Amino acid sequence: MADSKDFIAGVDSNAKKAPRRIVFITRRTSAQVKAETEDEIQTFPEVLFRAAVAIEVLAVLLVWISLVFNAPLEGLADPSHTPNPAKAPWYFLGLQELLHYFPPVVAGVLAPSLVVIALIVIPYFRVNIEAEGLFLRDRQQRLRIFYLVASVLSLFLLAFKVYAALIPTLIMVGIMLLAAYSSPQSPSVFRRYLANRPLSYWVMTWFLFELVVLTAIGTFFRGPGWSWIWPWQGS
Amino acid sequence: MAEETKNNDDVTRRQFFAKLGLGSLSIAAIGTAAFSYQYLEPNVLYEPSPVVNVGKPDRYPLDSVTLDVNNAIYIIHSQQGYFSLSAVCTHLGCLTAWKPELGIIACPCHGSKFDEDGRKIEGPAPKPLPWKRIWINDDGDLLVDRSTDVPPLAPDSFVRV
Amino acid sequence: MAKTVNQRFEALRGTHVWRSIFRSGIGSSTLKRALAIQQNVFLHLFYTKVRTRILGFSATWYLGALTFGTFLLLVATGIPLMLYYHPSVPQAYADTKDLQFVVSSGLFLRNLHRWSAHAMVFLVFAHMFKVFYRGAYRTPREFNWVIGVILLLITLLLSYTGYLLPWDQLAYWAITVGSNIASAVPLFGNKIHFLLLGGNAVNANALLRFYVLHCMILPLTAIFFLAIHFWRIRKDGGLYTHSSEPAVLRTQAANAGGNPGIPTSAATPKEAQ
Repeated sequence: MADSKDFIAGVDSNAKKAPRRIVFITRRTSAQVKAETEDEIQTFPEVLFRAAVAIEVLAVLLVWISLVFNAPLEGLADPSHTPNPAKAPWYFLGLQELLHYFPPVVAGVLAPSLVVIALIVIPYFRVNIEAEGLFLRDRQQRLRIFYLVASVLSLFLLAFKVYAALIPTLIMVGIMLLAAYSSPQSPSVFRRYLANRPLSYWVMTWFLFELVVLTAIGTFFRGPGWSWIWPWQGS
Repeated sequence: MAEETKNNDDVTRRQFFAKLGLGSLSIAAIGTAAFSYQYLEPNVLYEPSPVVNVGKPDRYPLDSVTLDVNNAIYIIHSQQGYFSLSAVCTHLGCLTAWKPELGIIACPCHGSKFDEDGRKIEGPAPKPLPWKRIWINDDGDLLVDRSTDVPPLAPDSFVRV
Repeated sequence: MAKTVNQRFEALRGTHVWRSIFRSGIGSSTLKRALAIQQNVFLHLFYTKVRTRILGFSATWYLGALTFGTFLLLVATGIPLMLYYHPSVPQAYADTKDLQFVVSSGLFLRNLHRWSAHAMVFLVFAHMFKVFYRGAYRTPREFNWVIGVILLLITLLLSYTGYLLPWDQLAYWAITVGSNIASAVPLFGNKIHFLLLGGNAVNANALLRFYVLHCMILPLTAIFFLAIHFWRIRKDGGLYTHSSEPAVLRTQAANAGGNPGIPTSAATPKEAQ
């Protein structure tokens, strides 16, 4: 627009839904403009009561669990006697499993730090904002890169005998290959869904899968001396 | 449907559920308050026992007033027998002292003075020094229960050996 | 002549004292409902109106609210627990046993605190994954995501510091292992280990430091970042609504007739409130 005014004026004309407003949009402003007006409702009572009910349900559930199950309490702390196995709280067991394969600097410092940094960086890593499916463009080239990365990672895990992390990785590779050979026109809903998933989805899902598997192994499959046991063998 | 008259005494569904909800919430709140109060009162105290053993009666000669500082009591052997006074001043809780040259119990904090029977002579103390239950156990030791008051000068408040 | 409870309540609400405390009354008018939010010191972090679309269960699974709920439960159970707990060695263990066997409702409080803690860690991870998979971290919500990661770390630290407090074998060795990992940090590892424990081993100093961290420093930090987190939700345009939701889909279909799985830039909601 070739006007010399510093602002553009408009009128919101849906007087039934909202009071009449006149809007002045100045240039070089950081305000963002609504694409469309949407239905709105009052925070109180709608939002607050729903949140209150959700929290109440959770509280009732936790109270029932607390009445039935007791928090664990072992003997008095004894610096001269280490229990076998000495396990961290459950949310750190994935980390402790990783410590079995790699030295503390890697598994205890490097890996968690990289994970935290990666998490923080996610929203600033603005590639593929449209969230396009990973293999829908430049398919051959991307497949080549994918095979390269997957092989390097798998060989690395194999070399250090990290089977716990290798198996989920191979499963993810398999699913990603299925996605690569699907398209938005595939007959099955699942394959269409896979074909449309962007790279960020695959990385995060791989991470979630690894987290769950490693934590599960640390919780149920590790016994004295951090040796492999089966859950039914008890420890 | 058009013939139903809205009687103001009728409870609507909305009112019913509101009452139900508020009712259960109040019951839960009262229950929580009751359990919380129970929680706050300790069931077990890690404090020294109020009953103390002050030794054999012959440690206390006739017409003597002995202050037991650790237990904050006086053991007094008078003509009528042994009895025990609290050494805690009834004004604001300071430890009193026996003044043999004056024949009185005096409090250093605000100048309250008591006689050998615990009666107040002068000072801001509102009440006399209470008498504490004293008796002899099977080993022949004098025992004082600091949590139990007995009437002053009453025959049962003395222990005769 | 007998007044109903409601009438008495109304009369109370008309008194000078009441109206000096609660300046705007309860009511079902839009104005009154908006004022209830806007004039409340705690609630005015939120907008008076929100978009209807974010209310449904499938939008958020209420995971954020549930995480906050467990946090409130933990504070509500943690403070009474502090009344019977001496953070010294070995008194701490005796106190934990006392809470379980001697104190009325002590066992229940301790259980509730423990299970709420596990629930909170689980829920905060679930919340993070849900936000990620919905794409609710994208512009303009990037910074709120970072605040969320900080809150995740604070939650894990809260759980970790609390784990030591019963001073049993489980606690002692879990923390010993964990703090030895901290000493693996290159260059500063040993210093960090020394400062964290207040010594070279997990002993009385460590217990006291972890106690102060767990009961004072970390909760205050958490509340600080929680306030920012809630405030940013409002400032970034309210809770995120996924672009594949029906209202936007219709617009996309009308505009481009393209693939519903891929949002076009015209329909990417740019919102401000």
